[in-house]
Amino acid sequence: MNSLSRRSFIELSTKLCALMGLGAGAIPRVAEAVEELASGNAPVLWLQGQSCSGCSVSLLDADAIAPAHLITRYINLSFHQTLSATTGTQAVETVNKIIAAGGYILVVEGAVPAAMPRACAFGGEPFGEQLIRAAKAAKAVVAVGSCASFGGIPGAENNPTGAISAVQHLKNQGVSTPAILIPGCPCHPDWLLGTLTHVLKVGIPPLDALGRPKAFFSRLMHDQCARFPDYEREKFAKTFGDEGCLFKLGCLGPITHTDCALRQWNGGVNSCIRAGAPCTGCGGEQFAAKANLPFITKKRAAQQQG
Amino acid sequence: MSKTIDLNPVTRIEGHLAVKVEIQDGKVASAYVAGEMFRGFEKILAGRDPLDAQHITQRICGVCPVEHGMASVLAQEMAYQLAPAPNGVLARNLIQAANFIMSHISHFYLLSGLDFVDVAMIVDYKGGDSALAALRDWVKGQINSRTVIPAAPFLPRYAAKYLQDADANFSALRHYLDALEMRALAHRMGAIFAGKLPHAATLVPGGITEKVTALKICEYRSALDTLREFIDRAYLPDVVAVAKSFPEYFNVGRGCGNFMAYGAFPVSAGSDAKFLPSGVLMDGKAQPVSERAITEDVARSLYSSASGRRPSEGETVADPNKSGAYSWLKAPRYNGAVMEVGALARVLVAYQDSQNGTMKSAVDGLLKNLGREAGDLNSVMGRHAARALECKSIADQCVRWLDQMTPDGATFTDFSIPETGRGHGLTEAARGALGHWIDIRDFKIGNYQCVVPTTWNCSPRDDRGVPGPMEQALAGLAVADPENPIEAARVIRSFDPCLACAVH
Repeated sequence: MNSLSRRSFIELSTKLCALMGLGAGAIPRVAEAVEELASGNAPVLWLQGQSCSGCSVSLLDADAIAPAHLITRYINLSFHQTLSATTGTQAVETVNKIIAAGGYILVVEGAVPAAMPRACAFGGEPFGEQLIRAAKAAKAVVAVGSCASFGGIPGAENNPTGAISAVQHLKNQGVSTPAILIPGCPCHPDWLLGTLTHVLKVGIPPLDALGRPKAFFSRLMHDQCARFPDYEREKFAKTFGDEGCLFKLGCLGPITHTDCALRQWNGGVNSCIRAGAPCTGCGGEQFAAKANLPFITKKRAAQQQG
Repeated sequence: MSKTIDLNPVTRIEGHLAVKVEIQDGKVASAYVAGEMFRGFEKILAGRDPLDAQHITQRICGVCPVEHGMASVLAQEMAYQLAPAPNGVLARNLIQAANFIMSHISHFYLLSGLDFVDVAMIVDYKGGDSALAALRDWVKGQINSRTVIPAAPFLPRYAAKYLQDADANFSALRHYLDALEMRALAHRMGAIFAGKLPHAATLVPGGITEKVTALKICEYRSALDTLREFIDRAYLPDVVAVAKSFPEYFNVGRGCGNFMAYGAFPVSAGSDAKFLPSGVLMDGKAQPVSERAITEDVARSLYSSASGRRPSEGETVADPNKSGAYSWLKAPRYNGAVMEVGALARVLVAYQDSQNGTMKSAVDGLLKNLGREAGDLNSVMGRHAARALECKSIADQCVRWLDQMTPDGATFTDFSIPETGRGHGLTEAARGALGHWIDIRDFKIGNYQCVVPTTWNCSPRDDRGVPGPMEQALAGLAVADPENPIEAARVIRSFDPCLACAVH
């Protein structure tokens, strides 16, 4: 049930190669990678670049799998900077041993300071270089969160470090390991767990044009929103705490493809829009990118008087 | 004999921390604490809509986002001359409290616990607890497998003396597993009013966007009672067990001796009194906090901007190749003095406060149980104990804030963003005193500066060459085995460092 035929691997790999702009020569290699993922319980190596650790925190807020079971039963978390017992020189050796063995899924959280390598280092090595080494030996790269996927806030306009997404950095450096993007600020734990499980048990899941799993990012937030009837009736919230559609408070639901209006957060207890907070578009490519596209909007004093 | 030890990276903290200690005759002669990651939030904020600030600054840190959001809305409320709605104040207390509880539980078990608890002992477990039996079988299976790093993330680790009392050790291990559930429950509880966590959606100047209903109060209370039970049954007893097994850590990790708390959590809506009081303890004497006494030095920091500025006039110009600089952290000082911030600082400030009898009796009770004196609290174990006592005190106080809420009452007071305005927001993060400064020009953010708890605690040397609190706490420390410098790791983690916060 869970395994794919050789033929489907090749088909999937062909699509992946096309998606990532790779030549036909890469197809057998990608197919092999995908097949091995399907058959074994590959270890996970988790690296952090210019990140806030919010996606790691979010993973530990998982509800679908109890966090204790997650790290002792479902994945072999071979290294994670916030959880691993190992520290200092021993931690550097541990990571290097994992990279030398290869064959893991690399989860990367955070951006890369492309114009200022000194702005992020692990054991004295610039993060950008460590990421390349680790990605080359990985079966697949999973970019978790907006920073690793699209640059996020570290890569926003006026940033002083020239930060770019981990995925863009790998592309710029010619690293062709298959990559899956799971944006969000933070990434929803279901999105990450669903994707990792899919990669481990079946292979790389169907991805959209941006490289995001279609299962979570194919539908418009606005279409699934509980406030959509208010939008239809043109009942708009004028300020925070009002009933109605949040469109006029700067809600980016109409341009954001995520499923959080239905999925909800923190074990289903709430979500941004349900709690009266406009969607900030954190699952999208343009999240935080432009200084003149605000997260939420409120009329200026002068405008209100006028 | 001298030797340099590089603890780089220090794991089980938030972010990118590198600590270099120079050992002479078995003791730390000097320590250099360095932040290894910089993003430039203050530059990114300039020119943006002021309402972006509480969203963007929360992304400084995924462990302390709520506190950054709070500092930001407090700074904006000062700039807008805005009084938040009473229900909004209470709901924000409850969101911030939920994050404190999540953070303190995570710190003791997930981050520091593995420095004291012996995970390897699980292979000898013969008891009937199903979770521990499953952990035993998993660890055994991993060790016998061809996995590259067996039993990761728990192994490998430093060779050291860990907890030797099997009962206490197995109990703490069981509670490590429980803590994973409890910290997620604390976030679920906070999300009832925050929309989601980490990165709360609902925080705005004037209150919150979420409503307060009787059902939400009830949901929060139910989660809270489970957490309070865990704190009483597991967290506090485990801290006592560790403290009794490692009594030497009451004599290790003594910091600079100056403590500061900005205070946080309005006791009730509309009250200026803070549940966690503010104050500075300098040379053992208490004094009120003056925002004007805070400055940041950058002589040894990787910035070319002016040194010694007040945050309201502060600049952040990166200079990654600056000669003589070794950290991305600035060096904040109070009237020129080094300050330790955090739960220990807050507990000591409250302990000195004659109005605060509850904290005094809680501290005295714990000290009596451990056969210790108040002076011993300035130590590794004192920091852990203070965090646990504070966790209980905040969780208990949440009951009173829930009781003060008005179901269906307003949670938000409307406002307009002014053309110009200045403000600062001083609050407490789980890790200590947190301040944001905003200067609004032409309806946009003109300048924004953050001085963050770990910026204080992990600061590098200042312009006069005086080391920061953690650097001072490491000096003189005996390190038995430079290959396994567990003593240094324990001192470092006792501060609960958060590097994404410290450098932003």
